[in-house]
Amino acid sequence: MSVLEVRDLTIALPRGGDRREAASRVSFSVQRGEILCLVGESGSGKSVIAQGVMGLLPKGLPVTGGTILLEGEDITHATQRRLRELRCTRMSMVFQEPMTALNPVMSCGDQLDEVLVQHTGFAAAERRRKILDMVREVRLPDPERMIESYPHQLSGGQSTRIMIAMALVLEPALLIADEPTTALDVTTQAQILKLIQDLQARHGTGVLFITHDFGVVVEIAHRVAVLRLGELVEFGAKDEVLKRPQHDYTRMLIGSVPTLKPQARAADRGAPVVLATRGLSKTYRDRSWFAKRRAVPAAVDITLEVRRGQTLGIVGESGSGKSTVARCILRLIDPSGGEVLLGGEDIATMPAWRLRPLRRRVQIVFQDPYRSLNPRRTVLEAIIEGPRNYGLSRAAAVERARKLMALVRMDPESLDRYPQQFSGGQRQRICIARALAMEPELLVADEAVSALDVSVQAQVLELLEDIRNRLNLAMLFITHDLRVAAQVCDYVAVMSQGRIVEHGPAGQVFGAPRHEYTRALFAAAPGRDFAFGSA
Amino acid sequence: MQAPDPKQYEALSIEAAVVRRQESVWQRVWRNWSVRIAGAMLVVLVGVAIAAPWLGTVDPTLFDPGSRDLVPGKTGEITTLDGETIKHTFWMGSDSLGRDIYSRVIYGTRVSLIVGVLCALLALALGIVCGLASGYLRWLDGILMRFMDGLMAIPAILIAIALVAMWRGGLATVIVAIAIPEIPRVTRLVRSLVLSIREEPYVEAAISLGTPTWKILFGHILPNCMAPLVVQGTFICAFSILVEAILSFLGVGLPPDFPTWGNVMAEGRQQFNDYPHNVFFPGVFLAVTVLAVNILGDGLRDTLDPKMAKRV
Repeated sequence: MSVLEVRDLTIALPRGGDRREAASRVSFSVQRGEILCLVGESGSGKSVIAQGVMGLLPKGLPVTGGTILLEGEDITHATQRRLRELRCTRMSMVFQEPMTALNPVMSCGDQLDEVLVQHTGFAAAERRRKILDMVREVRLPDPERMIESYPHQLSGGQSTRIMIAMALVLEPALLIADEPTTALDVTTQAQILKLIQDLQARHGTGVLFITHDFGVVVEIAHRVAVLRLGELVEFGAKDEVLKRPQHDYTRMLIGSVPTLKPQARAADRGAPVVLATRGLSKTYRDRSWFAKRRAVPAAVDITLEVRRGQTLGIVGESGSGKSTVARCILRLIDPSGGEVLLGGEDIATMPAWRLRPLRRRVQIVFQDPYRSLNPRRTVLEAIIEGPRNYGLSRAAAVERARKLMALVRMDPESLDRYPQQFSGGQRQRICIARALAMEPELLVADEAVSALDVSVQAQVLELLEDIRNRLNLAMLFITHDLRVAAQVCDYVAVMSQGRIVEHGPAGQVFGAPRHEYTRALFAAAPGRDFAFGSA
Repeated sequence: MQAPDPKQYEALSIEAAVVRRQESVWQRVWRNWSVRIAGAMLVVLVGVAIAAPWLGTVDPTLFDPGSRDLVPGKTGEITTLDGETIKHTFWMGSDSLGRDIYSRVIYGTRVSLIVGVLCALLALALGIVCGLASGYLRWLDGILMRFMDGLMAIPAILIAIALVAMWRGGLATVIVAIAIPEIPRVTRLVRSLVLSIREEPYVEAAISLGTPTWKILFGHILPNCMAPLVVQGTFICAFSILVEAILSFLGVGLPPDFPTWGNVMAEGRQQFNDYPHNVFFPGVFLAVTVLAVNILGDGLRDTLDPKMAKRV
């Protein structure tokens, strides 16, 4: 008997949505001891299905058809009371955001204890023993101290482990994991994936694992279900789906995942240097009248150069200081030491009025497409703002905006719309157009494709590549994603804890990483043994 | 397996299927029932204020010793400034000097609405300037905010009384006196909004586009503060109307012959037991006006600023 069987599940969307149903006649099953990966891009309805199984659907999204069987029991329209009994005991869920899924004012031990108090009649000593066992099982160090600590004292990985402990403490038959590793660094992600696999194998738990990342699928799945706009387009064993995808959409998704093999490119070592940093550093200081001053070095002794027509990638995990470097180069923050040479001039300590004419030459595209554009201004106003600041007439600026829209492959007629009317990928194109309107020499892309779905990411990467070649731009590409770096970078600098630990041509860094940290990063990259893109 | 070409990506991509319609702010606001009801009430009140001379009123400062303390609906006589005596029906009675309460209440609507709107605009304008300055120019922040803290430590009514007593006088004085204690609240609101908006990537993008600071403040940051500010403005408006009535009632606001609701109530207080209508009618108008403005504020908050609506 399947742990979970979903038959023809249909969940309606409220009127006025972009489609009628969040999930349309979706059928799949999870067997005992099996990991089923539910894959899809954002908006595909994968989280809604998980919420449907857990009975956590918001009011506006009712189940309008089909059945959900949990170990043979029909729970499609189960009462709230029954669902409460089932949650944690027979089905559990792990959420994406470890920092917000735990209650910040309760210690981790108390939160685990709450589950046991709710569902068992164990005495306090028995519960404590069980909690400590579970904390040990998710491989958290020093369990005694760990259960006394509060969520803010834990790292993202540790919080995720606590959530997994909470989910599995009563040995449910089904574990639903909704993008549990998406917010984590790649090395932490690798550990968590391993942990889920181990626990699942040991307890024979059926796992419904929701993800958008095919690398993760390669690592963890037994079977794969692919969702597109609420419809299940493909369902089968992992190797079947990954190696012989039947549906065009699956093929497109897998084809969009960048390969870890760097693109062979002849980088001209004699090209002129557009921007260089010498010993650049940034230390954040707490400014306080009473407490002792603390200094946090975010970037230490960074020496880099970017040449015309070439892409330098800065790769690192969160907190490695890669964005700090970008912001220092743009002088969005003031460096605490070192030089930033833009065409020979040091802009690191230049006063604002002298810096202004130079700003034109370096432009940036940010990570979050939803926050990079002022929601109160039309696309046209966003794109012409820069050129107008430098004295271009309005007519000429509008003309340039129209040309740029065509360049980033968008309809110039949509210039009078507001950013909210566009999707994430389209907004990122608008941001690129806005940066290009300044005719910069260096384009900084700070995680510019990280928030995008893989198919959109492929399009934007391709666009950036095309633009770089066409305009002979220098590009500084900041990313945490090794695959993306491999695809676009000529040179790569790997950062860890504010320092560059390895720096060299992409082929060399990716082919034969020398530093231990770089090697660890590669080892953790999910799906590294599977040849994506080129397969 | 052959990787599909980019054109095929775009055809299959979910994003290509997404088309969004933009609904204007006004459409969204107008769908809210609180806004509709309160809006209708305020339209009526504004209409009353504008059309005051044609609503069967007489000059609200006129008095006639012969028509003192009339009960509502009684007809009596009143002498105009030209010395002419006319017959007049006192729909809301008359006060102890023989003034027509109906006329005074209707004309009082003008004062209340003008005070409410101008106080809100003045407090918002000054608060926005202070808030933008302290939120964006960090060196100014400490000094400005400590000053605002000091201002907030004194009760609003007390400051208003002190200011009116110092300057003595008319409508402008009262408006300024009521607006000043509201400035710190607006400043704090604007400052907190600026502190979060200035970290938005679109502001950083504007900096790297070489946009001058004043353009960033007024072109990027301020427009994104407007929704909570409009909501705050309605609450200031309602509060100012109340404070003006309180000041008048206490005899420290506009001069007693000025037709304001507070003055009418103050005048009627002495004889409240015998002639409660002196207090009742202006009281009803005051309550209805403040209620309408507050409901409008709630409605606007729900539609313009959903995040704040959940919090409060």
